[in-house]
Amino acid sequence: MKNFSRAPTVCAASLFFVLPLVIACGNRAASGNTQAATPDLNGVWSAPFTPDISKALGHQPPFTPYGAARFAKEDEFDDPLTKCLPIGPARGIQAGIMPFQIVQTPSVFTILFENQHTFRIIHTDGRSHPKDVDPTWFGDSIGKWEGDSLIVDTVGLDDRTWLDTAGHEHSDQLHLVERFQKVDNNNIKWTVTFEDPKFFTEPWSVTLPIARQNTEIMSYSCEENEKDRAHLRRTKK
Amino acid sequence: MKTKSSVTLGLSFFLLSVSAPVFAHHGFAVEFDKDNPLTLTGTVTKMEFMNPHIYFYLDVKGKDGKVVNWALEGGPPNVIYRQGWRKDTLKPGDVVTVKGFRAKDGTHLASCSTVQLPDGREVSAGTGGASKNAYGSAAAADGKK
Repeated sequence: MKNFSRAPTVCAASLFFVLPLVIACGNRAASGNTQAATPDLNGVWSAPFTPDISKALGHQPPFTPYGAARFAKEDEFDDPLTKCLPIGPARGIQAGIMPFQIVQTPSVFTILFENQHTFRIIHTDGRSHPKDVDPTWFGDSIGKWEGDSLIVDTVGLDDRTWLDTAGHEHSDQLHLVERFQKVDNNNIKWTVTFEDPKFFTEPWSVTLPIARQNTEIMSYSCEENEKDRAHLRRTKK
Repeated sequence: MKTKSSVTLGLSFFLLSVSAPVFAHHGFAVEFDKDNPLTLTGTVTKMEFMNPHIYFYLDVKGKDGKVVNWALEGGPPNVIYRQGWRKDTLKPGDVVTVKGFRAKDGTHLASCSTVQLPDGREVSAGTGGASKNAYGSAAAADGKK
């Protein structure tokens, strides 16, 4: 592995933010401070690669006329991932191809994506969303535990992310509600609800199984040896 | 660093059935032509086991005797590492046969679906071919709606 990971692919900023969380989690685990009633979802996980989320839904989402028109003309050429932009909170789970690691403490639930070495921080300390949220790639996420599940509420999402590879888009009014339900030590039932009045006439949900992986998240940099952009061609005229 | 195969997927070394197209940062259709499959036999000149996709290069002699250096794109190194690939799986001087799809821009670039190694094994390179995704047809995985 040391040869494989030789390239300087780890963003220094990511380490700055993430390392303290990992260390804090380790310290709490060592001191036994983790709340006993809270399900333990720490570990490396992966969901089935779902490049077209409508396949998991069984049909296309309930588009508004605007949403339908956007989807009809969307071209994979414009996928933000082709520009090595962040993958976004839900797509990172269902279409990130690579596994992700959950690191949880009593106050935060962190998802570390191998894809692009990006991460989500979900606050579980009882706070509310800020009044005015400037859109960001992963939005503002707050979570609360309900029995065997973590319920995550996310707003303030940058409309440049896509929901999948097939070109399902959203606006900055997207509201995500996710349920991470612990089935057993090796399985999570993940249900995500998409609500966006600009793109969809009503909220819609998909459920995917998330399974524990016997691996570690590895290094990744989209820009390390990016050679494709010059060869990409539009698929629609 | 310990890195084992996924328990869930049950990956074993070079399992050809695990051949879902796995493009890390772009779809298939935006770069490669599914209607233009090709098979190339040549000599490896260089291997780039790097993100976001592996690239390797083959000197291929054409019918006219001219040698053309082709670029072959495989899956993300992380993904195919977990399937058994290593950076020295292909070495300069190896003579291999690859199957894939030519780039739409007509350059000497192709996606690489499988590689027949010098020892005869045909292994997935992580792109192209049929998808066994649970949620997404091969066409969808290849970027077609």
